[in-house]
Amino acid sequence: MKITIENNEAKFLFRIADTSLILAQRMAELCSNAPFLEEDIAISNCSLDLFGRAEELYKIIATIEGNKFTPDDYVFRRNEREFFNIKLVEQPNEDFAWTITRQFMHDVWAKEVFTQLSSSKNEELVGLCSKVLKEIEYSLLHSRDWMYRLGLGTEESNKRTQDAIDHLLKYVEEIFNFDDLDKEYFSDCANIERVWQEEINRVFSEINIERKEIQPLSMRDFRDGFHSEHIGHLLSIMQYLPRAYPDAKWS
Amino acid sequence: MEKGDKVWEVFVQKKSGLPFKHVGSVRAYDKKMAIQNARDLYTRRSEGRALWVVPVEAIVSVPLDNADAFFDPADDKAYRHATFYVTPEGVNHL
Amino acid sequence: MDKFEQAFNQIIEDDLKVEPRDWMPEKYRQTNIRQISQHAHSEIIGMQPEGNWLLRAPSLRSKQVLLAKIQDEAGHGLYLYSVAETLGISRQEMNEQLHNQTAKYSSIFNYPTVTWADMGAVGWLVDGAAIVNQVSLQRTSYGPYARAMVRICKEESFHQRQGYEIMCQMAFGTAAQKEMAQDALNRFWEPALMMFGPHDADSVHKGQSMAWKIKRESNDHLRQRFIDRTVPQAEYLGLTIPDKGLKFNEETGHYETSPFNWDEFWNVVNGNGPCNQERLDHHKKAHNDNRWVREAAEAYAEKTEAQVA
Repeated sequence: MKITIENNEAKFLFRIADTSLILAQRMAELCSNAPFLEEDIAISNCSLDLFGRAEELYKIIATIEGNKFTPDDYVFRRNEREFFNIKLVEQPNEDFAWTITRQFMHDVWAKEVFTQLSSSKNEELVGLCSKVLKEIEYSLLHSRDWMYRLGLGTEESNKRTQDAIDHLLKYVEEIFNFDDLDKEYFSDCANIERVWQEEINRVFSEINIERKEIQPLSMRDFRDGFHSEHIGHLLSIMQYLPRAYPDAKWS
Repeated sequence: MEKGDKVWEVFVQKKSGLPFKHVGSVRAYDKKMAIQNARDLYTRRSEGRALWVVPVEAIVSVPLDNADAFFDPADDKAYRHATFYVTPEGVNHL
Repeated sequence: MDKFEQAFNQIIEDDLKVEPRDWMPEKYRQTNIRQISQHAHSEIIGMQPEGNWLLRAPSLRSKQVLLAKIQDEAGHGLYLYSVAETLGISRQEMNEQLHNQTAKYSSIFNYPTVTWADMGAVGWLVDGAAIVNQVSLQRTSYGPYARAMVRICKEESFHQRQGYEIMCQMAFGTAAQKEMAQDALNRFWEPALMMFGPHDADSVHKGQSMAWKIKRESNDHLRQRFIDRTVPQAEYLGLTIPDKGLKFNEETGHYETSPFNWDEFWNVVNGNGPCNQERLDHHKKAHNDNRWVREAAEAYAEKTEAQVA
């Protein structure tokens, strides 16, 4: 099965949908591995929100594309170079500081993204945004609270958080290299970066974290389907069954 | 969890107009975490519209040894209940 | 007998509930702690065999359903831990008992889940057996435990259906899927039946637990109920119960099975199941690797919460 994308709006929405999906899968990795049970449940909740969000976005994409493919086709039948998520979300759960930092950086970005999409011309998308914005508000509450606990907790937790941030910041620059497609569907691209930098800097300054000068990596853009090596492993696990049994149906 | 976390009793209000009901407890290190943990544990299926968490040590209860002294004296005061009184036949709205 | 003991006996006799602050015999307390913490550990360790397939769930729907189900299990573990805590044991102590193996959990979770069909079999058979047991425990005499069971039974009603749905999908799917479904049934059938514990004649804790109404129905009684319900469900799927001796007794109206392999059961209970070590190591690793997170949360709370109290 070769998945094709015909429409610009679909092409654009894949960036958001894939980002939700890949982060959901990463968060699901914490199931039975979280620091304590209550947090296990909290992370599962975030993951469920993200899977649900991805599914709804793939449905909207499928509609735009004339229902040639189903959401499950999009998830299980595309290859590495056909995914368009931001690289930030495919970074692994090295430790809980990575998990939380990645989540926080994503949530701040997602909040402005879905705020702007709520004035889209696509009514289905607008409907989805009002639901999603509530989820993000909660997720942000959760991830931001943890940034404070980890940043201001112990020397060790501060150091682990600083390390996670130093690494993950390398994957941020590309998010703000908006292209024509972004400019067509976001109402104010520059504001996405402005809001993000402000909130990140504000929180970092309050939690004893240094925003170091990060040398941008020489890497190609996620908008063209470029990834870190992690994506292949993530997909090979996620897509194993439908790939191993191409004729089988799964509910 | 091991140390430093506390037990918080959780109360949920299902709909406006209904009383808050005790549903159980959660563990958490701080207030914000307690209310979030309570949300995730007790309202995943839309069971609530409002939540309280109370540190368990803030709850005062009647000591077992005094239970009889606290509650038994109320048992013989039937005059506090409407059924104690006889209303004349034919008289309504009392 | 003092007035507290009399009051306790009266509660049991009248089928009322014992509450945390009531007087209770020390052995009643300990029996409940043992049973409830074992139940809680089972929920928590039970997350692992299903978590094994979470990342490989074959559709968006099945992935969300499975994650919500595992999340429920964590939640049910938490309800049960907090019930046990009302009896005077701390979560930390229970965790230590799990790690040093003085507390047990259901042996069924020491079996590996090797194919996706096992997600069907676990939901259908393992949750099915657990539900039969838990429905009975809704009438247990310790109030908080009984209330937790009511809540858990309500929430778990989708768990068994989720499993059976997967079994249907596979049993009526491609030849490869059907084969996987049969294989899963073959591996989980007998271990699921042994979840109810030893036969009544060999059960150590039975007498006193029944007298105190901690346990309301015997192991064999509950097991029979499960078998009678499940055999027709297997027939609908067109799958074969892996027991050549299975037959329906017209007179009693019950199915009869061949004797179980109790040697295997006890061997798994005593730590030599296929995954005992893995389950425990997994739990310890998550706990130990994240100690710094809990320390951070504690330190942060000390700095920020003190001002309020």
